[in-house]
Amino acid sequence: MEKNQVLQNPGNRFLEAWKRNPLVSTGVVLILMVIIQTGIMIYNFGSGSIGELMLSLLTNWLNILRNNAPVGIIALGMTFAIISGGIDLSVGSTLVAVGAVVMAVVDGSATGLLTSMGITGVPAYLIAIVVGVLFGAALGWLNGVLIAHGKLPPFIATLGTMQIFRSVTQQLTQHANPSVPKGFLQIANLKIGSFYIMPIVYWLLLAVALYIVSKRTTFGRHVYAIGSNVRTARLSGINVNKVKRRIYMLTGMLVALAAIIQVSRIGSMDYASAGSGYEMDAIAAVIVGGTSMAGGKGSIVGTVLGMLIIGVMNNLLTLFGVPPFLREACKGVIVIVAVLLQKKEADA
Amino acid sequence: MTLEMRGICKSFGANDVLKQVDFSLKGGEICALLGENGAGKSTLMNILGGVLPADRGEILIDGSPVHFHTPADSLHAGVAFIHQELSLINDLAIYENMYIGRELKTKSGLLDARTMIQNTQEVFDRLSLSLDPRAMVRDLDASYKQIVEISRAMMMQASLIIMDEPTTSLTDPEIERVFDMMRMLKQQGVAIIFISHKLKEVMEICDRYTVLRDGNMVAAGPVSEVTTEDLARFMVGHDVRTENLRQSRELGPEILRGEHLEDETHFHDVSFAVRAGEVLGVTGLLGDGRSELFQAVFGAGPYKGQLWMEGQEVKVTTTPQAIKLGIGYVPRNRKENGIIKDMDIVENGSMVTLPRLVKGAFLDLARRDAEFEQQVQNLHIKMGKKSDLITSLSGGNQQKVVLAKWLSAHPKVLILDNPTQGVDVGAKEEIYDIILRLASEGVAVVVLSSEAQEIIRVCDRALVMYHGTIQGEVSGADMNEQTIMHLATGSVTANQTEE
Repeated sequence: MEKNQVLQNPGNRFLEAWKRNPLVSTGVVLILMVIIQTGIMIYNFGSGSIGELMLSLLTNWLNILRNNAPVGIIALGMTFAIISGGIDLSVGSTLVAVGAVVMAVVDGSATGLLTSMGITGVPAYLIAIVVGVLFGAALGWLNGVLIAHGKLPPFIATLGTMQIFRSVTQQLTQHANPSVPKGFLQIANLKIGSFYIMPIVYWLLLAVALYIVSKRTTFGRHVYAIGSNVRTARLSGINVNKVKRRIYMLTGMLVALAAIIQVSRIGSMDYASAGSGYEMDAIAAVIVGGTSMAGGKGSIVGTVLGMLIIGVMNNLLTLFGVPPFLREACKGVIVIVAVLLQKKEADA
Repeated sequence: MTLEMRGICKSFGANDVLKQVDFSLKGGEICALLGENGAGKSTLMNILGGVLPADRGEILIDGSPVHFHTPADSLHAGVAFIHQELSLINDLAIYENMYIGRELKTKSGLLDARTMIQNTQEVFDRLSLSLDPRAMVRDLDASYKQIVEISRAMMMQASLIIMDEPTTSLTDPEIERVFDMMRMLKQQGVAIIFISHKLKEVMEICDRYTVLRDGNMVAAGPVSEVTTEDLARFMVGHDVRTENLRQSRELGPEILRGEHLEDETHFHDVSFAVRAGEVLGVTGLLGDGRSELFQAVFGAGPYKGQLWMEGQEVKVTTTPQAIKLGIGYVPRNRKENGIIKDMDIVENGSMVTLPRLVKGAFLDLARRDAEFEQQVQNLHIKMGKKSDLITSLSGGNQQKVVLAKWLSAHPKVLILDNPTQGVDVGAKEEIYDIILRLASEGVAVVVLSSEAQEIIRVCDRALVMYHGTIQGEVSGADMNEQTIMHLATGSVTANQTEE
C-alpha cells in the first residue's frame, strides 16, 4: 500500500529516483546551471536578432565542450580505475610523455624521425597516432603491473609514476625542438561547417564506446565486480590481475588520445606544465558524476555529466566575473556540494 | 570468590535461549562450559559479562546478589570476559594496550608512559612472564596475545575470567603456554570459565564441566568422573537422530584426488579422493583448516603436494584455471565471498559464466537472461525482478543465486563450503535436494560443514578434520554425531581409528 502511494505521487517518485540513482541529482544540478548560464547570456546579450543570440549560445557551448574534451576523455579512463577501487594519478604526466613521443615521431623538420626516413603526410600521422597510443598503453601497463602484481596501492604506484614520467620526459626533451606539420593539426582543427568541433566528436564517440564497454562486455562487468567485492570476484574465477592491468592500459590509451588531440590543437606542448592538474580535474568529474571512491558503483554517463558540470561552472565564473584566484575555490565547492547531494550509504 | 547463577532465563522473541540455567564456580577452579553452537553458552556468558540482561534469575558473588547492566559493572565486580576475537590493537605497544581507554597521565596532561610500563612489568612479574611491556603487540604470537589479554584482566583485579574458545587459533606449543598461564592463575585463586569445543583440552585443564543443550543445563560435575565420549554424548543428546537422505547411487570414476596436501599453516599432509556421483563430506570444528584446504584446491590459496583431476596431475594456481579444469567452489560467508552487493540478481547469477556468454565482442544479454531464467526455475529462486539488487533477496535465495552461478558453469566437481550458512530451514532442505540431484547427475560433490547433522544428512562418507589433519573417515553406521564429535575434538589420535 505504502509503496503504491509513493509511486502515485510524482513528487515522491522524483525523490525516490533521486535517492536511488546518483545520475538524477547530477542531472538536476547540470540543468539548473545551464538555465542560469543561458539566462545570464540572454541578459548580457543586449540587442541583436534571435539568430545572433542562438549563434552566441551555440559558440559558447562548443567552447565549453571543446575546452573540456581532453580532460573529459581522460576522465572516461579514470572512471574505470575508480570503479575498480583504484585511481590513476599519473594521467597528466602520461599526457606529456605521450605528447613528447608523438611530436618526436611526427616532427616535420629535417631531423624528424619519420621525415628523415622519407615518410611524411598521412602515413606519418597514422604511424604517430599508433605509436602514441601504444606508448600510452605501455605506460598504463606499467601502472597496472605495479598495482596488480606488485600489490602496490594504486594511489602510491601512480603517484610514483606521475613523478617519473614527467621528469624523464623533461630530461629527454630538453634539446628537442620538434615542429608539428600543418596536416597533423587538422586532427583537432578540421572545421565542420564553420565550427571547430573535432575534439568534441572524439570525446563523444569515445564516451559512447566506453559506455558500451562498461555495460556490455565481460571486461566492463568484471571492473564493477572487482570494485565491489574483490574476494567474490576472485572466487568467481575472474583473473583479477589481468583485469587490473587492462584498466590502467585503457586509461593510458585514453590519455594518449587526449595527448594527440592536445598536440594537434596547439601544435606544441610545454612539458613542464601541460597536463598538470588533469588528474585532479578528471577525478573531480568522476566523483561529481556519482562514481563512488569506494569502488563498485559509478557510470560513464555520470562522468560525462560531471565533466559538463565542471565545464559549465567555469563558464559561469567567467560570466559572473569571479576573480581568477577564487575560481579554484568554486571548483572545490562544486565537488563538495555535488557529493553532498548524492545519497550516501549509511556508515556501518 | 564464589559465583552462583540461579534459574537464569533468557529469550529472544519467541525463542527461549536459556531455560532455568544454574551455574556455579569457586575461586581456584577451572570450569568447562560445553555445548553445540546455539546451545546458549554465549548468551549465558554475555549475561555474566553484563552484555545482556537476564529475563529472570539471579547472580550471586560471594553470596550477595549483584546486578550487571554494562560490561563495566561486571568488570568492577571482578568478572573479565576475554572474547574470541581479541581486542588488542596490533600497532600499539603491550603497555599501551594494557591501559587503553584509561591511560595514566602526568600532571601536565601528557601520557605517563613510565608508570604504565612499570605497572605492566609488575603484573608480568607476578605472573612469571618474561615479556617486555614495550614490545609491539603485532610481534607477539597468538598465545602471547591471549596472555596479554589475561594479564590485562589481572591488572584490573579480575577474580573470574571467562575465556571464549581461547585455543582455536593456537598451535600445540602455544596452547601449552596458555594452559600454563591458566594453571598459574588457578594457584592464585582465580576462577576461570573455559568455553571450548575441544574435549581433549577440557580433560587436560579443567576441574569441572557444565554442558548446555538447547538452553537447558543437561549435565555438570567433576571432569575426573567422565570420558570424552560422555561429554560428546551430553552435547549432542541421545534423542538426536537424523535420517540420511542419500540413495544408493552408481559411483563413476574418480574425479578429484589430492595427496599430501600441505600449506604449512592451516592443513598438513591431507589426502582425499572423490568420485563422480559421490557426496563427500568434510567436517570439523573452527580452525580445522578445511576451508583453506579446499580454497587451495580451487586455486585461491597456496599448497604443496599433488592434485589429480580425472587422472591427470594438475597444479592449480589460479581460480580461472580451476574453473577450466571443471572445479567449482561455493564459498563460505556469502556476504564477504559469495555475492557482489552492488550488482543485480542476474549479474550475480552469471558472474562465472560471463566469458562464455560473449557473442562477437559483446555480452549476449538475451542468452544470459535465458540461462539464468532456467536456473531460477530449477532452483525455485523466489525473487522480484531479475534486475533488482542481490541484497533484496532473503539469505536462502541469495545462496541459491550463488549456487546458480556455479551450476550454469557445469563443474565436474563442486565444492560447497558451509552451503546452508544463514539460510532458513526450508531453503536448507531445498539446498540438500540440489546437492543430491547434482550427485545423481554424476557431479562429484564435496560438502564442507561444521554441522554434523548436515554431513549425516547428505553425505555418502565424511572426513573429519582437527587442526589441519584428517582424524578419520566415517561412513554408514559410523557416520553419527557422537563419532564425528569425538574425532573433531581431537579426542582420538589418528592411529586409533584404523581398523
